[in-house]
This record gives sequence, C-alpha cells and structure tokens, in this order.
Amino acid sequence: MLEVIKPGLETSVQDWPGRIGYWNQGFPPSGPMDSWSFRMANLLVGNAPGTASLECQFIGPTLRFQRAGVVSVTGGDMQPRLDDQPIAMWESFAVEPGQTLSLMPAKTGARAYIAVAGGIVTEPWLGSRSTFHKAGVGGMDGRAIQTGQTVPTGEGASQPGRRVREDRRPPISMDKSWTVEVVAGPNDDWIDAAGHERFLSFDWKLSAKSDRTGYRLEGPDWSFTEKALNKAPEHGQEPSNIIDQGYPCGAINLAGQTPIILVNDGPSMGGFINPYTVPQAAFWKLGQAKPGETLRFKSISVSEAQALALQLDAYYSEDSIEGGK
Amino acid sequence: MIYEQPRYLPGGDRYVLIEFGNEMNLELNFKAQGLATAIEEQKTKGILETAPCFASMLIHYEPKEISFTDLQLEMGRLIDSLGPSDNIELESRLFCFPTVYLDPWTKECVADYIEKIAKKTTDPEYVAELNGLSSVEQFVRVHSGTEYWVASLGFWPGLPFMMPLDPRCMLTAPKYNPPRTWTPKGTVGMGGASTAIYPEHLPGGYQIFARTPVPIWDTNKRFPVFERSICLFQPGDRVRFVPCSVEEFNEAERQVEEGTYQYNLVEYQKFSVAQYKRWVESLDTKARF
Repeated sequence: MLEVIKPGLETSVQDWPGRIGYWNQGFPPSGPMDSWSFRMANLLVGNAPGTASLECQFIGPTLRFQRAGVVSVTGGDMQPRLDDQPIAMWESFAVEPGQTLSLMPAKTGARAYIAVAGGIVTEPWLGSRSTFHKAGVGGMDGRAIQTGQTVPTGEGASQPGRRVREDRRPPISMDKSWTVEVVAGPNDDWIDAAGHERFLSFDWKLSAKSDRTGYRLEGPDWSFTEKALNKAPEHGQEPSNIIDQGYPCGAINLAGQTPIILVNDGPSMGGFINPYTVPQAAFWKLGQAKPGETLRFKSISVSEAQALALQLDAYYSEDSIEGGK
Repeated sequence: MIYEQPRYLPGGDRYVLIEFGNEMNLELNFKAQGLATAIEEQKTKGILETAPCFASMLIHYEPKEISFTDLQLEMGRLIDSLGPSDNIELESRLFCFPTVYLDPWTKECVADYIEKIAKKTTDPEYVAELNGLSSVEQFVRVHSGTEYWVASLGFWPGLPFMMPLDPRCMLTAPKYNPPRTWTPKGTVGMGGASTAIYPEHLPGGYQIFARTPVPIWDTNKRFPVFERSICLFQPGDRVRFVPCSVEEFNEAERQVEEGTYQYNLVEYQKFSVAQYKRWVESLDTKARF
C-alpha cells in the first residue's frame, strides 16, 4: 500500500497498452504518455511491462510505504529522494515500512514513472486500470491521486540494484527541442505542397493549452488543396472540415488553423482533417516534451515507423537490465 | 461520390482509414458497419479494434501480426464478400427524446461564445438562412421532422453521430472556427450534415439549438437501459427529437435525478434497407416541411 502524502501536480494510475477495444464507443486507450520509461520502470521491479504504475506529470508526489518492497523511478528527472537521501533513477531500490519517497519538479523531461513490485491493483474498469481523467473513470476514483488516499499494491518480489543500461534509456532532450517522427496521412492530400513544406520545416511551439487529450501547436498557417477548398457542403465549410471520421491515436488534427496532436485520452472521431500521424515509436517524446518547448517534425514511411516500433519493443527485456543479482 | 474501390489511408504505424466515398450517404455507413461486423465475426488476425463512421472506417491493427499490405488485401476481400446492402435487415430500436428547441441554455452558451471568442450569427438563425428556410420555426419543424440514424459513436464515450433518414429534412451547417470551449450537457447540435447529442459538458464545434434532459451515457448504470453498456446507443438505433417545453424538460430532469425517468424506446421494429430505399425513391426529395 502507498499512502499519498502529497499528490504532485497530476499523478495517476496507468497501465499499458490501456483500454483497448472500445474506440467504437468513444473510449480512448489512456495509459502512460511515455510508455518507454513506463515499461522500463516495471521491468526493473520484476513486473510484466504493462503492469499498472504511477505516472507523475511535471511535479512528482510524496508517498509513504506501508510495507517493505522494491520500487523504481524512471522517465523525466524528478530527483527522487528516499527519506532524506537522494536515490538513483532507472535503478530498483528496496523500501522499508514507513519510508517516504518524494519527487520534485521535473528537471529534464515532463513525466516520471513510479513502479512497485507487484504493481498497483486498483479495480480495473472496462479491462484496464488506466485513469481517464476527463470522464472520471479508471485509476483511483477516476481521477489523479489525492492527499490522504491509500493506493493498493499487489504482492511481488524483486531485487534492488537492477539498472536500465544507459543505451536503453530514452534520450530525453536537454535543449528544449525535439525531433518527432510523423507519417503522412490519412488526410495529407488536403494540404498543398507549401503547407507540407511549412509543417516540416518549422519549429512548432508546444502550447500551455495541452493535456492528455491533445497537444496544441503554435506556428504558421496552413494552406490547402482544391479538395479542401471545393467540396460537398456536408463536409462543413472550413477548409479543414471533413465528414466526421475515425481519428488515429497520435493524429495531428487540424481544427481551423490550429494543429492539435491527439494523444492518449483524445477523441476517437470528429470532423477535422488529420494530415499527419505520430507513430507509436515517437509517442514517448510527446510524453517528455514540456509546454514552451519546440517540436520539429520529420516525415517517415509506414514501414520505417513500424521498424522503429519493433526496435523499441526489443528493448523491453532482461537484456536491457544490468546488476541486481 | 462513392468510390469504385475503397481508399486505404495510413494513420501512422498502427492505423488505417478505409474511405468508401466522400459524401453523406446511408449506403456508405452500411458498408462501414457491414465491414466492422464481418471483421468481428471472422476475428481477422491482427485487428485490435475498429471505428466505423459515416463514410469511412478506422482500423487499429498490430503490425507484428498483419502487415499494412496484407491488411489492405484482406479488407479488400472482406469488402467484396459483403452482399448488396439491399439484403440488410437489422434490429433497430427507436428512441424518442423530449427536446427543447431554441432553448435558453444553448442561447446562453452561444451568447457567451460571441462575447468572449468570436462574433457570429446565432446558430439557429444561421443554419436556417444557410439552408434557405424561411424562419427558425421552420428550421425546428424540419430538424424535428425526421428519424435520425445512429451511424456511429465517438468523439466522447457514447456520443452519437446521426444522419436524418428523411431526405426532406437534410440540412447542412459549418462547424465553429475556432471551436467552443464549452457546451451544455444534453445539447443537440449539427455540423456538416451530422446531428449529435453532447453526453456531457464538453467543448465542441457543432451549431447548437436544442437540449434534451435524457442521459445518453451513465458510468453508474442507474437505468435498466444501460445494463448492456454504459453507452445508451448502438449503431443502427434511431432517434426522434420530440419538441417540448422548458417545463416538461424540468420535469423530466427531475425524474432523471430521482431515478424514476422512463426511457421512451420501442424495440419491435426492424430496419429494412430495401424498403427504406423504395420509400426514399417515392419522395420529392426537394420538398421541405
């Protein structure tokens, strides 16, 4: 059990890959924004990589352990301390009953993950423990954790001192700029050549009006092809309007002139075009980018995006872990 | 138009959007729903979930189990195996929703948008004018004069995307630019040729002009209609908006709060595509109510 002393800015229970299978009713997957760091946190404490753990956004929580166990912290650098001692990230450590883990504001990155051996065992909702804040379902009462709550944890055993190899950790940006892979489509043919050129050559600023639903980007205006400008009225009159359609998770959704990247808690459907989609292998970068930082997009093919995902998948194994025997 | 061959549009490394055409046509939604059902029945390997909509269907797939190329071949085969839509006859529930048109709540919301975000003609007046109707009263008559077909659910859990079944009631409207930051729960609105009900207090982009007190999703399943799912609707349901007064709205809302509200739905009817098409052909589709 974990007692919440301070909840942090928005700390929530998530599992991976989240709530899959309900897109046709409008339920998003939810789950960790940086599933690379998330899965590594679980591997460190001997859990299956998708086991429910805590996602900490911008400012981490303070938690007291009610029983002995093995714990790990990964992701953005929130300078964790166990009681008064700084403790290494990306490495499992043992805790005793009554000890307190405290995380600070993120020094690098935006999100950290806390995993405990045995995982978090809140009641699953539609097959997943992930919190979907906007609808108030999953996790702890459908919301971020609150002061005074007790987060239930399962039984699990692991060793302290297990480390993720340096070359298997996500390279979190130190200079506030990110290169994010995108795949053109589904509605790329609604944008003209100049519009594509501007999208791929500009340093887009991540707006403060961003959350687990969508990431708003600030940058130049878009320009369109005939397809967007002359169309049947049922699409709607604005160039970015289209007959309502399913949205891929990761779609760069053009609402009027504002691009919004639809992330883990985003809408499943709507009437705006999606000229590009962020592939799964690049999602962790969105999870670690902070408002005010810049994103530069790099266009890759479907097969390149799938190859990147396979390469990352191979990392979630004991081969990435050293020490702890 | 309806495409001769569906188009397969990639959405990153794990999604593909299959587009059947680029118009609002019930035929296209039948195709999308038919394909979704076929995938479910065949348990096509590598397909994790689907989201059929008006004229297209999104597929979420696992590329480790099926390649983008094989997925297109497999879907092409399945689409070809779907019989003509004329053969479709399906269970279709009909819901009647008490609805206040030109209500005070959406008026207040639109006024707030005009004051704080952008100037625009108020929504019912705007939609009436764009569609060549003589007054907002005629707009109400036309909008409430048809059953609506639930083509899909999305955007928010349980939100129905609907199209009018009576072509004499077909209306179109642009979407807000920029979108609204809030919409009252239960608001009825339209964008493009689609009508929707907002299940919660949510941002939105549709033109809004009416409100219903009847919950369309319920995580607590307080009413028997939610036994099967916390979302009220399933594709293929039909909805009729029955104009009512603010007093009737308030009374229904009170019953909802008490848990005594009776959902008005009938479940004995089937929807026959062939009969529907015959009926549409017999109409003067340019006529209005």
